[in-house]
Amino acid sequence: MPKRFDQARPFLTLGLVVAAWFFVPTVVKTFTRASFFELTAPVGVAVSYARDLQEYWSLRLRSNDELVQAGRDVARLIASYDIAVQQNVEMQGEIARLEGLLRLPSYTGYRSEHARVVRRDFSGWWQRLTIRKGKNFDLAVGSPVVFSGGVVGRVSEVFAYTATVDLISSQTVRLAAVVEGDIRPISYQGGLNPTFGSAGGIIEFVPLDIFASANSTKRLVTSGLGGVFPPGLTIGSVIKVEPSNDGLFKSGEVKLDDRLAALIEVTVLIPLSPN
Amino acid sequence: MLRLLFIFLSTFLLWALTAQLNHALAPWRLYVFVGALAVTLPALTFSLRAGLLASFLGGLVFDATAPIPFGTHALLFALVHAVVFNFRDRVPRDDTLSRVIIALFANLGLFLVFSFTQVARSPAPASLWPRLFADLACSQVLLALIAPWFLAVQARALALVDHEQKRYA
Repeated sequence: MPKRFDQARPFLTLGLVVAAWFFVPTVVKTFTRASFFELTAPVGVAVSYARDLQEYWSLRLRSNDELVQAGRDVARLIASYDIAVQQNVEMQGEIARLEGLLRLPSYTGYRSEHARVVRRDFSGWWQRLTIRKGKNFDLAVGSPVVFSGGVVGRVSEVFAYTATVDLISSQTVRLAAVVEGDIRPISYQGGLNPTFGSAGGIIEFVPLDIFASANSTKRLVTSGLGGVFPPGLTIGSVIKVEPSNDGLFKSGEVKLDDRLAALIEVTVLIPLSPN
Repeated sequence: MLRLLFIFLSTFLLWALTAQLNHALAPWRLYVFVGALAVTLPALTFSLRAGLLASFLGGLVFDATAPIPFGTHALLFALVHAVVFNFRDRVPRDDTLSRVIIALFANLGLFLVFSFTQVARSPAPASLWPRLFADLACSQVLLALIAPWFLAVQARALALVDHEQKRYA
């Protein structure tokens, strides 16, 4: 065999592999991917349960005094939430009456499904979470995911007993937002994830009369447009806006909640109506 | 076949360990990638076909959990395998230090090529590079630290099923 051909043999073989891979049907690739994912899933889930057990035993070491104090705090919280629930029921009734009077379309209802975080995968390329619930809890692709500080992201893939969530700081997430108190929609996209710093995103199409700076931030919330996220959920704080190149709008930066990087539990909002 | 299985299992172990490390590093916004370690030993010691298959299968493990077209890691791993295989007869490859250096260069190449495929999706590509370089630095340091252990694990596992133990030592 000529020496030149012998040297090129690895690359010829590689070329054949690449060509063969491009001709593999999508359904086979999808099946293989799901199989490989399910092969890797038990590792993360097992570690997640071990972490929970570790936390449980560390909590068992707390003194009775601490537990009594924590119980008292929780009782106070429950009392204040009870009042909030009553007010909420009254407000929902008011909204329903107004929708009936004005013949407005009603808001989509959501079912909350709490899920533990199995794995955080925060690279410069993407930002994702794996959560410990999937098809076994009827999670659906595209469902919004929230926590006490606002939006976490949206469900991008659902597997047998896990699901992956694209974090709001990921460049793959783009949604319509509004500055609190304003109704004009703004485009938000994640993608700023500096090392040791706070995650952030970019906003575009900001109206010219909106001003914000690091000292005078504005709260950015979901607009409700697009139908995925309910309106009014916190996305982050607008820390910078400046005129864009076209001069018609401004663009700027948003700082996201630092707690996003250390989440251990999230809530998936599953639309009650399949549409 | 058993050699392929052992290489696949060791790649799986590598993926699982780095996944847990990345989970712990997430609050600091650091990320490590040491995928080239899965390719180094097969590329230096296996035949072309068996090594390519081992690298490709290892890449599929990394692909399964990544939001990219399925097969991206696998094809990049196969590319690195082909490059390393091509020059393996011209470099010292029997001692651990040489293998670690080859793994470092392979990881550098993999990381940069992969970054170029992903950076276009960012709304602010210029601000992404400092983060990527920090991740790359951490990845290279980690790789240099764990490579001797990982290559030894692979070599010991392969020596169990292969009579030519010198090849991996």
